Amino acid sequence: MNELRSNFHDQLAEIRQGIAQMSAGVTELVPRATQILLDGDLEAAEYIILGDDEYDAKSVELEERCFTSIALQAPVASDLRSLVSAIKIIADVERSADLCVNICKAARRIYGHELDPNLRGVIQKMGDQATVLFKEATETYLNLDGPRAGALHDMDSYLDDLQRQFIQVIFESHAAGNIDLQVAVQLAVVARFFERIGDHAVNVGDRVRYIVDGWVPEHPYPESDNDPPEMVDGVVVADGG
Amino acid sequence: MTESVDIPAPAPTETAAGGVAVDTRNGIEVTDLDIYYSDFLAVEGVSMTINPRSITALIGPSGCGKSTFLRSLNRMHEVIEGAYVRGSVVINGNDLYGPGVDPVAVRRKIGMVFQRPNPFPTMSIFDNVIAGHKLNSKRMKRAESEDLVEKSLKGANLWEEVKDRLDKPGSGLSGGQQQRLCIARAIATSPDVLLMDEPCSALDPISTLAIEELMLELKNDYTIVIVTHNMQQAARVSNRTGFFSIAGTGKPGNLIEMDSTEKIFSNPAQQETQDYVTGRFG
Repeated sequence: MNELRSNFHDQLAEIRQGIAQMSAGVTELVPRATQILLDGDLEAAEYIILGDDEYDAKSVELEERCFTSIALQAPVASDLRSLVSAIKIIADVERSADLCVNICKAARRIYGHELDPNLRGVIQKMGDQATVLFKEATETYLNLDGPRAGALHDMDSYLDDLQRQFIQVIFESHAAGNIDLQVAVQLAVVARFFERIGDHAVNVGDRVRYIVDGWVPEHPYPESDNDPPEMVDGVVVADGG
Repeated sequence: MTESVDIPAPAPTETAAGGVAVDTRNGIEVTDLDIYYSDFLAVEGVSMTINPRSITALIGPSGCGKSTFLRSLNRMHEVIEGAYVRGSVVINGNDLYGPGVDPVAVRRKIGMVFQRPNPFPTMSIFDNVIAGHKLNSKRMKRAESEDLVEKSLKGANLWEEVKDRLDKPGSGLSGGQQQRLCIARAIATSPDVLLMDEPCSALDPISTLAIEELMLELKNDYTIVIVTHNMQQAARVSNRTGFFSIAGTGKPGNLIEMDSTEKIFSNPAQQETQDYVTGRFG
Protein backbone atom coordinates (compact mmCIF):
# COMPACT_ATOMS: atom_id res chain seq x y z
CA MET A 1 0.00 0.00 0.00
CA ASN A 2 1.38 3.37 -0.87
CA GLU A 3 0.73 7.06 -1.52
CA LEU A 4 -2.91 7.57 -2.54
CA ARG A 5 -3.08 11.33 -2.88
CA SER A 6 0.18 12.05 -4.64
CA ASN A 7 -1.42 14.79 -6.71
CA PHE A 8 -2.60 16.69 -3.67
CA HIS A 9 0.64 16.09 -1.82
CA ASP A 10 2.58 17.39 -4.83
CA GLN A 11 0.44 20.54 -4.63
CA LEU A 12 1.33 20.93 -0.96
CA ALA A 13 5.01 20.53 -1.76
CA GLU A 14 4.72 23.16 -4.50
CA ILE A 15 3.08 25.62 -2.14
CA ARG A 16 5.87 25.09 0.36
CA GLN A 17 8.51 25.53 -2.36
CA GLY A 18 6.82 28.75 -3.44
CA ILE A 19 6.77 30.15 0.08
CA ALA A 20 10.36 29.06 0.74
CA GLN A 21 11.40 30.79 -2.46
CA MET A 22 9.71 34.00 -1.36
CA SER A 23 11.31 33.64 2.05
CA ALA A 24 14.73 33.12 0.44
CA GLY A 25 14.11 36.36 -1.44
CA VAL A 26 13.54 38.19 1.84
CA THR A 27 16.69 36.59 3.23
CA GLU A 28 18.57 38.39 0.43
CA LEU A 29 16.57 41.55 0.89
CA VAL A 30 17.64 42.11 4.52
CA PRO A 31 21.41 42.57 3.86
CA ARG A 32 20.65 44.68 0.79
CA ALA A 33 18.39 47.00 2.78
CA THR A 34 21.08 47.19 5.47
CA GLN A 35 23.71 48.13 2.91
CA ILE A 36 21.39 50.70 1.31
CA LEU A 37 20.90 52.31 4.71
CA LEU A 38 24.65 52.42 5.39
CA ASP A 39 25.54 53.67 1.91
CA GLY A 40 22.63 56.07 1.47
CA ASP A 41 22.06 54.42 -1.91
CA LEU A 42 18.81 56.09 -3.01
CA GLU A 43 18.68 54.42 -6.40
CA ALA A 44 18.88 50.94 -4.91
CA ALA A 45 16.34 51.98 -2.25
CA GLU A 46 13.89 52.96 -4.96
CA TYR A 47 14.45 49.62 -6.66
CA ILE A 48 13.62 47.67 -3.48
CA ILE A 49 10.59 49.82 -2.69
CA LEU A 50 9.11 49.26 -6.15
CA GLY A 51 9.98 45.56 -6.06
CA ASP A 52 7.73 45.00 -3.06
CA ASP A 53 4.66 44.74 -5.29
CA GLU A 54 6.06 41.46 -6.51
CA TYR A 55 6.13 40.04 -2.98
CA ASP A 56 2.59 41.22 -2.37
CA ALA A 57 1.35 39.59 -5.58
CA LYS A 58 3.22 36.38 -4.87
CA SER A 59 1.85 36.17 -1.34
CA VAL A 60 -1.74 36.64 -2.57
CA GLU A 61 -1.24 33.94 -5.18
CA LEU A 62 0.17 31.47 -2.64
CA GLU A 63 -2.56 32.24 -0.15
CA GLU A 64 -5.22 31.58 -2.75
CA ARG A 65 -3.64 28.24 -3.55
CA CYS A 66 -3.86 27.36 0.16
CA PHE A 67 -7.55 28.35 0.28
CA THR A 68 -8.29 26.29 -2.82
CA SER A 69 -6.59 23.24 -1.35
CA ILE A 70 -8.52 23.58 1.89
CA ALA A 71 -11.80 24.01 0.00
CA LEU A 72 -11.31 21.15 -2.42
CA GLN A 73 -9.17 18.59 -0.65
CA ALA A 74 -10.57 18.50 2.91
CA PRO A 75 -7.07 18.20 4.37
CA VAL A 76 -6.61 16.68 7.82
CA ALA A 77 -3.80 16.05 10.31
CA SER A 78 -0.33 16.97 8.99
CA ASP A 79 -1.80 18.17 5.68
CA LEU A 80 -4.14 20.55 7.47
CA ARG A 81 -1.38 21.76 9.79
CA SER A 82 0.85 22.36 6.80
CA LEU A 83 -1.78 24.47 4.98
CA VAL A 84 -2.89 26.49 7.99
CA SER A 85 0.77 27.17 8.78
CA ALA A 86 1.49 28.09 5.16
CA ILE A 87 -1.12 30.86 5.33
CA LYS A 88 0.50 32.25 8.47
CA ILE A 89 4.06 31.91 7.17
CA ILE A 90 3.11 33.75 3.98
CA ALA A 91 1.95 36.68 6.12
CA ASP A 92 5.20 36.65 8.14
CA VAL A 93 7.35 36.60 5.01
CA GLU A 94 5.33 39.27 3.24
CA ARG A 95 5.47 41.52 6.31
CA SER A 96 9.22 41.03 6.54
CA ALA A 97 9.59 42.19 2.94
CA ASP A 98 7.58 45.29 3.93
CA LEU A 99 9.98 45.92 6.81
CA CYS A 100 12.92 45.84 4.39
CA VAL A 101 11.04 48.42 2.33
CA ASN A 102 10.60 50.50 5.48
CA ILE A 103 14.34 50.37 6.12
CA CYS A 104 14.92 51.65 2.57
CA LYS A 105 12.42 54.47 3.14
CA ALA A 106 14.27 55.38 6.33
CA ALA A 107 17.48 55.49 4.25
CA ARG A 108 15.83 58.15 2.10
CA ARG A 109 14.81 60.18 5.14
CA ILE A 110 18.27 60.26 6.69
CA TYR A 111 20.01 60.83 3.35
CA GLY A 112 22.95 63.20 3.62
CA HIS A 113 23.45 62.69 7.35
CA GLU A 114 26.77 61.19 8.31
CA LEU A 115 26.56 58.13 10.64
CA ASP A 116 29.44 57.63 13.08
CA PRO A 117 31.34 54.28 13.18
CA ASN A 118 29.58 53.13 16.38
CA LEU A 119 26.17 53.46 14.74
CA ARG A 120 27.36 51.86 11.52
CA GLY A 121 28.80 48.92 13.43
CA VAL A 122 25.65 48.12 15.34
CA ILE A 123 23.42 48.58 12.25
CA GLN A 124 25.64 46.10 10.42
CA LYS A 125 25.38 43.63 13.29
CA MET A 126 21.58 43.90 13.43
CA GLY A 127 21.34 43.43 9.67
CA ASP A 128 23.63 40.40 9.84
CA GLN A 129 21.74 38.77 12.69
CA ALA A 130 18.32 39.42 11.09
CA THR A 131 19.67 37.87 7.88
CA VAL A 132 20.94 34.78 9.71
CA LEU A 133 17.59 34.39 11.45
CA PHE A 134 15.64 34.62 8.23
CA LYS A 135 17.95 32.24 6.44
CA GLU A 136 17.59 29.75 9.25
CA ALA A 137 13.78 30.11 9.27
CA THR A 138 13.67 29.59 5.51
CA GLU A 139 15.80 26.47 5.62
CA THR A 140 13.97 24.90 8.54
CA TYR A 141 10.70 25.46 6.69
CA LEU A 142 12.02 24.04 3.45
CA ASN A 143 13.32 20.94 5.23
CA LEU A 144 10.59 20.85 7.92
CA ASP A 145 13.32 20.59 10.52
CA GLY A 146 11.53 20.94 13.86
CA PRO A 147 14.51 20.75 16.23
CA ARG A 148 16.44 23.36 14.22
CA ALA A 149 13.39 25.64 14.23
CA GLY A 150 13.46 25.48 18.02
CA ALA A 151 16.84 27.26 18.03
CA LEU A 152 15.40 30.43 16.49
CA HIS A 153 14.16 31.77 19.83
CA ASP A 154 17.72 31.91 21.19
CA MET A 155 19.04 33.51 18.02
CA ASP A 156 16.35 36.14 18.32
CA SER A 157 17.40 36.98 21.89
CA TYR A 158 20.73 38.16 20.51
CA LEU A 159 18.94 40.38 17.99
CA ASP A 160 16.88 41.84 20.85
CA ASP A 161 20.12 42.59 22.74
CA LEU A 162 21.49 44.32 19.66
CA GLN A 163 18.37 46.46 19.48
CA ARG A 164 18.93 47.65 23.07
CA GLN A 165 22.58 48.35 22.24
CA PHE A 166 21.57 50.24 19.12
CA ILE A 167 19.18 52.48 21.08
CA GLN A 168 21.97 53.18 23.58
CA VAL A 169 24.39 54.10 20.80
CA ILE A 170 21.74 56.36 19.23
CA PHE A 171 21.40 58.22 22.55
CA GLU A 172 25.14 58.56 22.86
CA SER A 173 25.59 59.79 19.29
CA HIS A 174 22.81 62.29 19.75
CA ALA A 175 24.26 63.49 23.08
CA ALA A 176 27.67 63.89 21.45
CA GLY A 177 26.06 65.98 18.74
CA ASN A 178 26.94 63.53 15.97
CA ILE A 179 23.31 63.10 14.80
CA ASP A 180 20.34 65.41 15.12
CA LEU A 181 17.06 64.44 16.71
CA GLN A 182 15.29 63.65 13.44
CA VAL A 183 17.97 61.13 12.46
CA ALA A 184 18.00 59.67 15.97
CA VAL A 185 14.26 59.03 15.79
CA GLN A 186 14.55 57.48 12.32
CA LEU A 187 17.32 55.15 13.50
CA ALA A 188 15.32 54.11 16.57
CA VAL A 189 12.51 53.08 14.22
CA VAL A 190 15.00 51.19 12.02
CA ALA A 191 16.16 49.30 15.11
CA ARG A 192 12.57 48.28 15.63
CA PHE A 193 12.26 47.13 11.97
CA PHE A 194 15.23 44.78 12.32
CA GLU A 195 13.90 43.47 15.59
CA ARG A 196 10.50 42.77 14.00
CA ILE A 197 12.12 40.87 11.12
CA GLY A 198 13.67 38.60 13.76
CA ASP A 199 10.26 38.09 15.38
CA HIS A 200 8.73 37.06 12.07
CA ALA A 201 11.56 34.56 11.56
CA VAL A 202 10.80 33.11 15.00
CA ASN A 203 7.12 32.86 14.04
CA VAL A 204 8.07 30.90 10.94
CA GLY A 205 10.13 28.56 13.11
CA ASP A 206 7.21 28.06 15.50
CA ARG A 207 4.96 27.22 12.56
CA VAL A 208 7.48 24.67 11.34
CA ARG A 209 7.36 22.98 14.72
CA TYR A 210 3.56 22.99 14.52
CA ILE A 211 3.66 21.32 11.10
CA VAL A 212 6.13 18.70 12.29
CA ASP A 213 4.44 17.57 15.49
CA GLY A 214 1.59 19.90 16.43
CA TRP A 215 3.60 22.00 18.89
CA VAL A 216 2.33 25.52 19.53
CA PRO A 217 3.86 27.91 22.03
CA GLU A 218 0.54 28.55 23.79
CA HIS A 219 -0.23 24.95 24.66
CA PRO A 220 2.53 22.53 23.87
CA TYR A 221 0.54 19.61 22.47
CA PRO A 222 -3.12 18.96 21.71
CA GLU A 223 -4.93 17.11 24.44
CA SER A 224 -5.41 13.41 24.05
CA ASP A 225 -8.20 11.27 25.47
CA ASN A 226 -5.47 8.84 26.34
CA ASP A 227 -3.65 11.19 28.69
CA PRO A 228 -3.84 10.01 32.27
CA PRO A 229 -6.39 11.90 34.36
CA GLU A 230 -5.06 14.70 36.50
CA MET A 231 -5.24 13.67 40.16
CA VAL A 232 -5.03 15.75 43.32
CA ASP A 233 -5.04 13.80 46.58
CA GLY A 234 -6.39 10.76 44.83
CA VAL A 235 -9.32 12.65 43.27
CA VAL A 236 -9.71 13.20 39.55
CA VAL A 237 -9.75 16.94 38.91
CA ALA A 238 -9.62 16.79 35.12
CA ASP A 239 -9.79 13.80 32.87
CA GLY A 240 -7.32 13.53 30.04
CA GLY A 241 -9.68 14.37 27.22
CA MET B 1 -40.84 -5.46 26.40
CA THR B 2 -38.67 -5.39 29.48
CA GLU B 3 -39.34 -8.87 30.76
CA SER B 4 -36.92 -10.71 28.46
CA VAL B 5 -34.00 -8.34 28.73
CA ASP B 6 -30.85 -9.89 30.09
CA ILE B 7 -28.77 -6.78 30.44
CA PRO B 8 -30.30 -4.62 33.12
CA ALA B 9 -28.94 -1.15 33.74
CA PRO B 10 -27.28 -0.50 37.10
CA ALA B 11 -27.98 2.58 39.19
CA PRO B 12 -28.15 5.51 36.79
CA THR B 13 -25.55 7.73 38.39
CA GLU B 14 -22.12 7.44 39.79
CA THR B 15 -20.60 10.31 41.68
CA ALA B 16 -17.35 11.66 40.33
CA ALA B 17 -15.12 14.28 41.89
CA GLY B 18 -16.82 17.47 42.91
CA GLY B 19 -20.15 15.72 43.36
CA VAL B 20 -21.03 16.00 39.69
CA ALA B 21 -23.18 13.09 38.70
CA VAL B 22 -21.79 11.24 35.71
CA ASP B 23 -24.24 8.95 33.99
CA THR B 24 -22.27 5.94 32.85
CA ARG B 25 -25.21 3.83 31.72
CA ASN B 26 -24.92 2.22 28.32
CA GLY B 27 -21.23 2.79 27.83
CA ILE B 28 -19.38 -0.24 26.51
CA GLU B 29 -16.11 -1.64 27.78
CA VAL B 30 -14.33 -3.96 25.37
CA THR B 31 -11.38 -5.90 26.76
CA ASP B 32 -8.87 -7.97 24.78
CA LEU B 33 -11.38 -9.01 22.19
CA ASP B 34 -10.26 -11.58 19.61
CA ILE B 35 -12.81 -12.39 16.93
CA TYR B 36 -12.61 -15.67 15.03
CA TYR B 37 -14.36 -17.07 12.01
CA SER B 38 -13.78 -20.74 12.71
CA ASP B 39 -9.97 -20.96 13.06
CA PHE B 40 -9.29 -17.67 11.25
CA LEU B 41 -8.45 -14.82 13.60
CA ALA B 42 -10.17 -11.79 12.00
CA VAL B 43 -9.64 -9.18 14.72
CA GLU B 44 -7.07 -9.36 17.45
CA GLY B 45 -6.71 -7.88 20.90
CA VAL B 46 -9.13 -4.95 20.78
CA SER B 47 -9.65 -3.05 24.00
CA MET B 48 -11.67 0.14 23.96
CA THR B 49 -14.06 2.22 25.97
CA ILE B 50 -17.16 3.37 24.13
CA ASN B 51 -18.63 6.38 25.87
CA PRO B 52 -22.35 6.48 26.53
CA ARG B 53 -24.59 8.91 24.64
CA SER B 54 -21.91 9.92 22.20
CA ILE B 55 -20.87 8.87 18.74
CA THR B 56 -17.87 6.62 18.28
CA ALA B 57 -16.63 6.23 14.71
CA LEU B 58 -14.54 3.31 13.50
CA ILE B 59 -12.43 3.94 10.43
CA GLY B 60 -9.80 1.97 8.57
CA PRO B 61 -8.98 0.37 5.22
CA SER B 62 -11.16 -2.39 3.76
CA GLY B 63 -10.69 -5.71 5.45
CA CYS B 64 -9.29 -4.23 8.66
CA GLY B 65 -12.02 -5.84 10.72
CA LYS B 66 -13.96 -2.74 11.73
CA SER B 67 -17.32 -4.13 10.55
CA THR B 68 -16.58 -7.49 12.11
CA PHE B 69 -15.77 -5.71 15.35
CA LEU B 70 -19.00 -3.68 15.12
CA ARG B 71 -21.04 -6.85 14.61
CA SER B 72 -19.38 -8.45 17.60
CA LEU B 73 -20.86 -5.66 19.73
CA ASN B 74 -24.34 -7.18 19.36
CA ARG B 75 -23.27 -10.73 18.51
CA MET B 76 -24.52 -10.24 14.96
CA HIS B 77 -21.36 -11.84 13.55
CA GLU B 78 -22.48 -15.11 15.12
CA VAL B 79 -25.02 -15.58 12.36
CA ILE B 80 -22.02 -16.89 10.42
CA GLU B 81 -21.41 -20.53 11.31
CA GLY B 82 -18.30 -21.06 13.40
CA ALA B 83 -17.83 -17.44 14.46
CA TYR B 84 -16.85 -16.85 18.07
CA VAL B 85 -14.91 -14.43 20.25
CA ARG B 86 -12.44 -14.43 23.11
CA GLY B 87 -12.37 -11.53 25.53
CA SER B 88 -15.24 -9.52 26.89
CA VAL B 89 -17.74 -6.87 25.88
CA VAL B 90 -19.30 -5.38 28.97
CA ILE B 91 -22.31 -3.08 29.02
CA ASN B 92 -23.95 -2.00 32.26
CA GLY B 93 -21.86 -4.49 34.17
CA ASN B 94 -22.90 -7.49 32.07
CA ASP B 95 -20.68 -9.37 29.66
CA LEU B 96 -22.51 -9.87 26.36
CA TYR B 97 -20.60 -13.09 25.95
CA GLY B 98 -21.22 -14.31 29.48
CA PRO B 99 -22.68 -17.78 29.99
CA GLY B 100 -26.42 -18.01 29.46
CA VAL B 101 -26.76 -14.68 27.66
CA ASP B 102 -29.28 -14.91 24.85
CA PRO B 103 -27.91 -13.28 21.65
CA VAL B 104 -31.44 -12.33 20.60
CA ALA B 105 -31.94 -10.37 23.81
CA VAL B 106 -28.58 -8.68 23.22
CA ARG B 107 -29.62 -7.60 19.72
CA ARG B 108 -32.87 -6.21 21.10
CA LYS B 109 -30.97 -3.79 23.32
CA ILE B 110 -28.18 -3.13 20.88
CA GLY B 111 -29.75 -2.26 17.54
CA MET B 112 -28.08 -2.29 14.15
CA VAL B 113 -28.58 -0.17 11.05
CA PHE B 114 -27.04 -1.54 7.87
CA GLN B 115 -25.35 -0.16 4.79
CA ARG B 116 -28.30 -0.67 2.44
CA PRO B 117 -31.68 0.48 3.69
CA ASN B 118 -33.58 -2.76 4.24
CA PRO B 119 -37.19 -2.06 5.13
CA PHE B 120 -39.52 -5.02 4.71
CA PRO B 121 -40.61 -4.19 1.17
CA THR B 122 -44.22 -5.33 1.25
CA MET B 123 -44.95 -4.11 4.77
CA SER B 124 -46.49 -0.71 5.28
CA ILE B 125 -44.44 2.08 6.81
CA PHE B 126 -46.46 1.62 10.00
CA ASP B 127 -45.80 -2.10 10.21
CA ASN B 128 -42.13 -1.63 9.38
CA VAL B 129 -41.69 0.56 12.44
CA ILE B 130 -43.29 -1.90 14.82
CA ALA B 131 -41.87 -5.00 13.13
CA GLY B 132 -39.16 -5.48 15.73
CA HIS B 133 -41.71 -5.03 18.46
CA LYS B 134 -44.10 -7.55 16.98
CA LEU B 135 -41.33 -10.12 16.72
CA ASN B 136 -40.10 -9.49 20.21
CA SER B 137 -43.07 -9.15 22.43
CA LYS B 138 -46.70 -9.62 22.97
CA ARG B 139 -49.35 -7.80 21.04
CA MET B 140 -49.94 -4.13 21.65
CA LYS B 141 -53.15 -2.18 21.64
CA ARG B 142 -53.75 -0.13 18.49
CA ALA B 143 -53.37 3.16 20.34
CA GLU B 144 -50.13 1.97 21.88
CA SER B 145 -48.80 1.00 18.46
CA GLU B 146 -49.80 4.35 17.01
CA ASP B 147 -47.96 6.19 19.78
CA LEU B 148 -44.86 4.08 19.30
CA VAL B 149 -44.88 4.58 15.53
CA GLU B 150 -45.26 8.34 15.84
CA LYS B 151 -42.59 8.59 18.52
CA SER B 152 -40.14 6.43 16.57
CA LEU B 153 -40.72 8.20 13.26
CA LYS B 154 -40.33 11.57 14.97
CA GLY B 155 -37.15 10.29 16.57
CA ALA B 156 -35.87 9.39 13.12
CA ASN B 157 -36.90 12.76 11.64
CA LEU B 158 -39.25 11.05 9.23
CA TRP B 159 -42.69 11.72 10.74
CA GLU B 160 -43.53 14.89 8.84
CA GLU B 161 -42.66 13.26 5.53
CA VAL B 162 -44.69 10.08 5.97
CA LYS B 163 -47.46 10.77 8.48
CA ASP B 164 -50.10 10.90 5.73
CA ARG B 165 -49.08 7.63 4.11
CA LEU B 166 -48.31 5.28 6.96
CA ASP B 167 -50.25 2.49 5.24
CA LYS B 168 -48.14 2.67 2.06
CA PRO B 169 -45.26 0.21 1.57
CA GLY B 170 -41.87 1.17 2.98
CA SER B 171 -40.24 0.37 -0.35
CA GLY B 172 -41.96 3.41 -1.90
CA LEU B 173 -39.77 5.81 0.05
CA SER B 174 -36.52 7.31 -1.23
CA GLY B 175 -33.23 5.71 -0.18
CA GLY B 176 -32.60 8.29 2.51
CA GLN B 177 -36.15 7.98 3.82
CA GLN B 178 -35.87 4.20 3.83
CA GLN B 179 -32.71 4.44 5.89
CA ARG B 180 -34.44 6.73 8.36
CA LEU B 181 -37.31 4.24 8.43
CA CYS B 182 -34.79 1.56 9.39
CA ILE B 183 -33.49 3.84 12.13
CA ALA B 184 -37.06 4.36 13.33
CA ARG B 185 -37.51 0.57 13.35
CA ALA B 186 -34.29 0.19 15.32
CA ILE B 187 -35.21 2.77 17.96
CA ALA B 188 -38.79 1.47 18.28
CA THR B 189 -37.51 -1.40 20.41
CA SER B 190 -35.93 1.13 22.84
CA PRO B 191 -32.36 -0.06 22.45
CA ASP B 192 -29.51 1.24 24.61
CA VAL B 193 -27.02 1.27 21.79
CA LEU B 194 -27.29 1.85 18.04
CA LEU B 195 -24.69 0.28 15.80
CA MET B 196 -24.46 1.66 12.29
CA ASP B 197 -22.54 -0.11 9.58
CA GLU B 198 -21.81 2.46 6.85
CA PRO B 199 -25.36 3.80 7.10
CA CYS B 200 -24.84 6.45 4.42
CA SER B 201 -22.72 4.69 1.83
CA ALA B 202 -25.75 3.92 -0.36
CA LEU B 203 -27.23 7.41 0.00
CA ASP B 204 -26.95 10.69 -1.90
CA PRO B 205 -25.17 13.63 -0.21
CA ILE B 206 -28.37 15.38 0.96
CA SER B 207 -29.78 12.21 2.52
CA THR B 208 -26.37 11.62 4.04
CA LEU B 209 -26.43 15.02 5.73
CA ALA B 210 -29.99 14.30 6.97
CA ILE B 211 -28.81 11.04 8.56
CA GLU B 212 -25.80 12.80 10.08
CA GLU B 213 -28.02 15.47 11.61
CA LEU B 214 -30.25 12.73 12.94
CA MET B 215 -27.28 10.96 14.49
CA LEU B 216 -26.29 14.14 16.30
CA GLU B 217 -29.80 14.27 17.79
CA LEU B 218 -29.90 10.56 18.59
CA LYS B 219 -26.68 10.70 20.54
CA ASN B 220 -28.51 12.58 23.29
CA ASP B 221 -30.37 9.35 24.03
CA TYR B 222 -28.31 6.54 22.58
CA THR B 223 -24.78 5.30 22.53
CA ILE B 224 -23.89 5.23 18.84
CA VAL B 225 -21.10 3.34 17.15
CA ILE B 226 -20.66 3.92 13.44
CA VAL B 227 -18.42 2.24 10.91
CA THR B 228 -17.75 4.53 7.98
CA HIS B 229 -15.57 4.61 4.91
CA ASN B 230 -16.14 8.33 4.71
CA MET B 231 -13.51 9.89 6.91
CA GLN B 232 -15.12 13.30 6.61
CA GLN B 233 -18.28 11.78 8.02
CA ALA B 234 -16.35 10.43 10.98
CA ALA B 235 -14.81 13.89 11.42
CA ARG B 236 -18.17 15.65 11.18
CA VAL B 237 -20.28 13.56 13.51
CA SER B 238 -18.20 11.55 15.94
CA ASN B 239 -16.85 12.41 19.36
CA ARG B 240 -14.22 9.71 19.36
CA THR B 241 -12.62 7.84 16.51
CA GLY B 242 -10.94 4.47 16.46
CA PHE B 243 -8.56 3.59 13.64
CA PHE B 244 -8.30 -0.07 12.66
CA SER B 245 -5.68 -1.47 10.38
CA ILE B 246 -4.29 -4.74 9.16
CA ALA B 247 -0.65 -5.71 8.72
CA GLY B 248 -1.29 -7.72 5.54
CA THR B 249 -3.56 -10.22 3.83
CA GLY B 250 -4.44 -13.07 6.16
CA LYS B 251 -3.32 -11.10 9.21
CA PRO B 252 -5.85 -10.07 11.86
CA GLY B 253 -7.18 -6.52 12.10
CA ASN B 254 -5.99 -4.40 15.02
CA LEU B 255 -7.10 -1.22 16.72
CA ILE B 256 -4.16 1.09 16.05
CA GLU B 257 -5.30 4.22 17.81
CA MET B 258 -8.37 5.56 19.51
CA ASP B 259 -8.77 9.13 20.67
CA SER B 260 -10.96 12.20 20.47
CA THR B 261 -11.97 12.81 16.86
CA GLU B 262 -10.32 16.21 16.99
CA LYS B 263 -7.03 14.64 17.96
CA ILE B 264 -7.24 11.88 15.32
CA PHE B 265 -7.86 14.39 12.53
CA SER B 266 -5.54 17.15 13.69
CA ASN B 267 -2.60 15.41 15.26
CA PRO B 268 -2.84 11.64 15.69
CA ALA B 269 -0.23 10.00 17.89
CA GLN B 270 0.51 7.09 15.54
CA GLN B 271 2.26 7.57 12.22
CA GLU B 272 0.05 4.84 10.74
CA THR B 273 -3.08 6.82 11.62
CA GLN B 274 -1.56 9.99 10.17
CA ASP B 275 -0.68 8.17 6.95
CA TYR B 276 -4.18 6.76 6.66
CA VAL B 277 -6.17 9.94 7.32
CA THR B 278 -3.97 11.97 4.97
CA GLY B 279 -4.14 9.31 2.24
CA ARG B 280 -0.46 8.44 2.31
CA PHE B 281 -1.42 4.85 2.90
CA GLY B 282 -4.45 2.90 1.80
